[in-house]
Amino acid sequence: MPRPEQKMVTFTLDGREVSAIENSMLVDGAKCVDVEIPVFCYDAKLGQPVGACRMCLVEVEGINKLQTACSTPIREGMVVNTESDRVKESQRAVVEFLLINHPLDCPVCDKGGECPLQDITFGWGGGTSRFIEPKRHFQKPLALSPLIAIDRERCILCYRCVRFSQEVSEDYQLILSERGAHSFVSTFDGHPYVAPFSANIVELCPVGALTSQAYRFRARPWDVEGSGSICTLCPAQCNVTLTVRDERVLRVLGRDHDEVDDGWLCDKGRFAYQAMHVGERITEPLLRDGGELRPVSWERALQSAISGLTKAAGRTGAVVGGETTNEEAFLLQRLMREGLDSPDLDSRPGGALALDLHRALADPALSATVVDIEFAHAVLVLDCEPVDDAPILDLRIRKGVRRKGVKLAVASSRPSSLDANATLSLRFAPGAGEALVAALDAALSGTGDVDGLAASAGADVDQVRELAALLSEAGEDVVVLWGERLAHGPRGDHAVRGLLNVASRLKLASADGAGLLEIPSGANGRGLRESGLLSNAGPGLGEPGREGRDTPAIGAALAAGDLTAVYLMHCDPVRDFQDRGLWNRALSKATTVVAHAGYLTEGLIEHATVIFPAEAYAEKEGTFTHPDGRIQRLRPAISHARGVRPEWQVLATICKAAGLEMTFHTVPMVFRALVDAVPFYADLTLDEIGGRGMRWQQTAAAANLPTASDRAPYQLTAPPAALTPNGSLRLGTYRSIWAGSEVAVSPALKFLIPHQQVELSPDDAKRIGVGHGDRVEVTYDGAAVNAQVTLRAAVPTGTVFLAEATDSQPANLLTNGEPRLVEVRPA
Amino acid sequence: MELLYKNIDEPGLNTIAVYESHGGYQSLRKALAMDRADLIQELESSELRGRGGAGFSMGKKASFLPKDKMDKYLVCNADESEPGTFKDRELMQKNPHQLIEGLIIGAHAASANCAFIYIRGEYDYVADILDAAVAEARAAGYLGDNILGTDQSLSLVVHRGAGAYICGEETALLDSLEGKRGNPRLKPPFPANQGLYQGPTLINNVETLSNLSHIVRMGAKAWSELGVKNSSGTKVVSISGNVQRPGNYEIELGIKSRDLIYGLAGGPPDGREVKFWFPGGSSAPILTAEHLDLPYDFDSMAGAGSMLGSGAIIVIDDSVPVVDVALKLATFYRNESCGKCTPCREGTNWTVHMLERIDSGEATPMDLDIMASVQEHITDHCLCVLGDSMAMPISSMIKYFRPEFESHIEAARHRNDLGAPPSPHPVEAVGSAAAGPYTSVA
Ligand SMILES: Cc1cc2nc3c(=O)[nH]c(=O)nc-3n(C[C@H](O)[C@H](O)[C@H](O)COP(=O)(O)O)c2cc1C
Ligand code: SF4
Ligand code: SF4
Ligand code: SF4
Ligand code: FES
Repeated sequence: MPRPEQKMVTFTLDGREVSAIENSMLVDGAKCVDVEIPVFCYDAKLGQPVGACRMCLVEVEGINKLQTACSTPIREGMVVNTESDRVKESQRAVVEFLLINHPLDCPVCDKGGECPLQDITFGWGGGTSRFIEPKRHFQKPLALSPLIAIDRERCILCYRCVRFSQEVSEDYQLILSERGAHSFVSTFDGHPYVAPFSANIVELCPVGALTSQAYRFRARPWDVEGSGSICTLCPAQCNVTLTVRDERVLRVLGRDHDEVDDGWLCDKGRFAYQAMHVGERITEPLLRDGGELRPVSWERALQSAISGLTKAAGRTGAVVGGETTNEEAFLLQRLMREGLDSPDLDSRPGGALALDLHRALADPALSATVVDIEFAHAVLVLDCEPVDDAPILDLRIRKGVRRKGVKLAVASSRPSSLDANATLSLRFAPGAGEALVAALDAALSGTGDVDGLAASAGADVDQVRELAALLSEAGEDVVVLWGERLAHGPRGDHAVRGLLNVASRLKLASADGAGLLEIPSGANGRGLRESGLLSNAGPGLGEPGREGRDTPAIGAALAAGDLTAVYLMHCDPVRDFQDRGLWNRALSKATTVVAHAGYLTEGLIEHATVIFPAEAYAEKEGTFTHPDGRIQRLRPAISHARGVRPEWQVLATICKAAGLEMTFHTVPMVFRALVDAVPFYADLTLDEIGGRGMRWQQTAAAANLPTASDRAPYQLTAPPAALTPNGSLRLGTYRSIWAGSEVAVSPALKFLIPHQQVELSPDDAKRIGVGHGDRVEVTYDGAAVNAQVTLRAAVPTGTVFLAEATDSQPANLLTNGEPRLVEVRPA
Repeated sequence: MELLYKNIDEPGLNTIAVYESHGGYQSLRKALAMDRADLIQELESSELRGRGGAGFSMGKKASFLPKDKMDKYLVCNADESEPGTFKDRELMQKNPHQLIEGLIIGAHAASANCAFIYIRGEYDYVADILDAAVAEARAAGYLGDNILGTDQSLSLVVHRGAGAYICGEETALLDSLEGKRGNPRLKPPFPANQGLYQGPTLINNVETLSNLSHIVRMGAKAWSELGVKNSSGTKVVSISGNVQRPGNYEIELGIKSRDLIYGLAGGPPDGREVKFWFPGGSSAPILTAEHLDLPYDFDSMAGAGSMLGSGAIIVIDDSVPVVDVALKLATFYRNESCGKCTPCREGTNWTVHMLERIDSGEATPMDLDIMASVQEHITDHCLCVLGDSMAMPISSMIKYFRPEFESHIEAARHRNDLGAPPSPHPVEAVGSAAAGPYTSVA
């Protein structure tokens, strides 16, 4: 739905004229003039008010009873009194009621000092209680989950946590059990509350009833400082406040930004801060010496890296992971192109995409924002799983569907957690995204062989037609949220052309609230491309000078000996990329493997020559570019762990050694140089980006984006047909939200480490003769993955799914980025 | 004058044949022939007020439903859980078709095509009777598509509740009907705008709907001449407690309360006096013997500081201590509070604790002040009126019988050998309660 227009009205509050948005709630309107009306149950983020706590009662002229300010919409001419004796007495009464069963153990309560119940008691309570009966007792604290402790005696039954679980994250686990004075918060089945967004309830809870097990008793509010930054663990780039005590991050809180995260965080972002302060972290340079990686001095490490790289010079490749900042990316591409004279660098794991298509995709008219998801007429989730790929967007989609009537369609290979919310869910064969968009394009344009294309996609043709109808009839604001994986592989260009055709048929460029939004595979995927980390583009999606090798080609060239050195910035291809066999060969063949890494992963342990410690994101300064083009700042919250140096300086040092003139003294200076090199960033300054970020598309310089020479609709070529699962099964892979070193080394999150599992449809399992929990072997050409079967009714027959980047039995033993059929048999 | 109770004890009245032999379903024909707007007008001018407790004009409520074409609902509230109220049970059990006919007329007025009777789970046998009657009505063409050849279609489902008083509150009832836990919703939006499944919904009590066929048959004017101003029509009054002939009595509103309690129900047993009475179910503030000469109608009861409510009179005679009644009543509401809003959840529980101390002599007269103040803090401050339903009668008991509360404490203190009255309350500080064993979460 298009954003509602906001009309200003005037009403009277405590004798003052106040202008506020019509139909906004009184509590919010009162804030315009700094009048605070106390609330417990209300939080605009939770959607419709419930009016449960009765803390916010105020007098509205013309209405006899006191009204709840949290649920009373402001109307023109309304006269409201928040200070009458009647109001004050009701406030004192509610505080007294709430405290009768509250243990008042503030001195040992984590919330003490930042507790709304304390504040409101102090501000609005009577200061005394007349209650002398025994209080309620519960066993406490109990583990609501491994992450959250619950103290039911402190709970004031405000419903916030329950509403979050029921209406925001929709995991439907939390409820209030029993009733009346016996009510208590629990999960409906008594099992631990484990869900991707569970710990938001800790922040929502207005008392110390829900506390973070990881933060419990670590600090009092007056011991700590808050420091704003962004989470760099996924492309959603949620805004966070890091709680810091003595140069340690102790907690991560949301820093509400409704255009980015809507005030929520996922549990990975909330708890993986622990990874900054664990023994597993690399905090000094390592050098391979006699086959072993050993700690060495910075001088020695730098010296070996420089000599290895300069020796290989033009025969060096660079592969970059998503946690790299724009500034680091800019320096690295200069090192490669100018210092080492090598064009072989890439930040996209799945193979190059034509530069012209990068430009077409970046067109501001075609780019949707995060907020657009919420207000769209329809959203198509295409070849991605938001909860895994950019978790916080999952909540945004749910919000749009639940509260704004967004029509949701999901087109994916693997069953999606959003299926239940979708008007239409469509499945296609893994890797057949190209055929799917081609079929959709044909259905939308009314020309072309929809049946044949749908068959090539392994999709149901009626569903493709329904999808086309849904998208074209929903209204003008259609957002397509698509995953980078659609554009992977040798036919990525074709898939993107199909996607751009779909966008042009739906006229997404001409509606303000419509567009494409890509979830890149790396957290800063978009920034890396725009900073010049592509084999076929320089900074600002400019001509690269010389076109180089993309990621798979770099792997192949290393394996073939055409390249001899490789720079691995924040990535371990053996763990993260397709075709583990190729990368193992590539890295063992390379004479120099320079890496920046926070943790030792299998590829680095095996092959790295030099490893520079990576900065933790709380130590880092720089900028990231959000998938919707918002440049956001990363601000250092703590000083570097002993032995860790700023990575931009490491890069600058190597650049200088490679003969480049470098006069940068600070990160902002590098940023300046980057902005000068990226024409459409030209209007950005760090001051303006500030704490809220800034979308480059909204600046005048956006016009400097090089335009694509060729435009949609493109003439599409016939896509290859999906493989037929003739007893063998189509292999699909996905990367869980919990995959990654940060989760693996964070003590709080260890219980979530994903283990390999084989997702099978019941039909296939029956045919193969295995059941849920049985071990099977999945094989391709001699390589095998051995894991337990998870039966999922929603998995299409003929397809099997494996998880990427698991701790063992890695799926990339079997993959190379192209569709494959695998054998599954009992192990 | 008997309308609802006419022929009520005739064997077989619950079957469609007998019902029709008394002219049943003729009003439906008449109503279906009427224009919707005219029907609503007719209901409004009858001045029929809701019989479920709040006494809101039935016709006006029907007129609040949006006129646009969309799915609309009619829900009959048959949860009848208010202590002392048992009229709906008899109406449904003995004359189910009267309700069904009224319900179809109501659905026509509201242009609803989907109706539910939400009946409390304990009335299982009554629900069976309703189910049978609904099947008969459907077979006779009074339910289903295009009823009697008109454009009015209606499906009717009898839904059994699971036994919670709060599910009689209209919005909690809707949640329960939707398959959720029955908790009251915030109003607005009112059910007339957003009710069942977010659609416009008309909710009425069994007795309210049972009146409709009579209004249509007699015409609003003739019907409204029954009773008195602002309280037209007849009312089935459930009389219980210390009376010699407890039961349901249909009366014209406005007759003297004494004639009801003494005349119809025979008054308290010989030698006993009326001490106080609830005029409208257990949630109505009590009245005393002084009020027995008041006319029994909406305005008179409200004027005396109480309410006609569901029209259930509970009589308490002078053999019963007021503290016993207060404790029983408060305990009921404490147990039935859904717990969603603070004043009711905490206030009912606190009140029960205080009353227990009063009963056992562990209280002081000061506790009566605190208890009265707690009732004030509950009244008008809750999400639904269940909180008020305890607070108002308890307040009224303290108001009329404070000396008895005080002597009750004294007597219990002596009886239980509790020694001198405790010193004044430590109101400044709350003693810290002993915490239970702590389990480690690590
Ligand atoms: C706690 C509570 C319980 C109620 N129980 C009933 C009930 O059992 N039956 C009923 O008809 N109305 C009950 N009501 C009143 C309903 O909310 C509603 O006002 C009524 O059903 C409307 O119908 P009427 O206008 O025909 O009276 C209850 C209200 C409250 C607050
Ligand atoms: S645990 Fe906290 S958030 Fe949940 S109901 Fe209790 S006080 Fe509210
Ligand atoms: S959704 Fe992504 S950016 Fe947000 S907290 Fe989680 S990992 Fe961090
Ligand atoms: S008044 Fe009582 S029953 Fe009604 S919503 Fe509040 S707690 Fe629930
Ligand atoms: S904040 Fe308004 S009722 Fe809770």
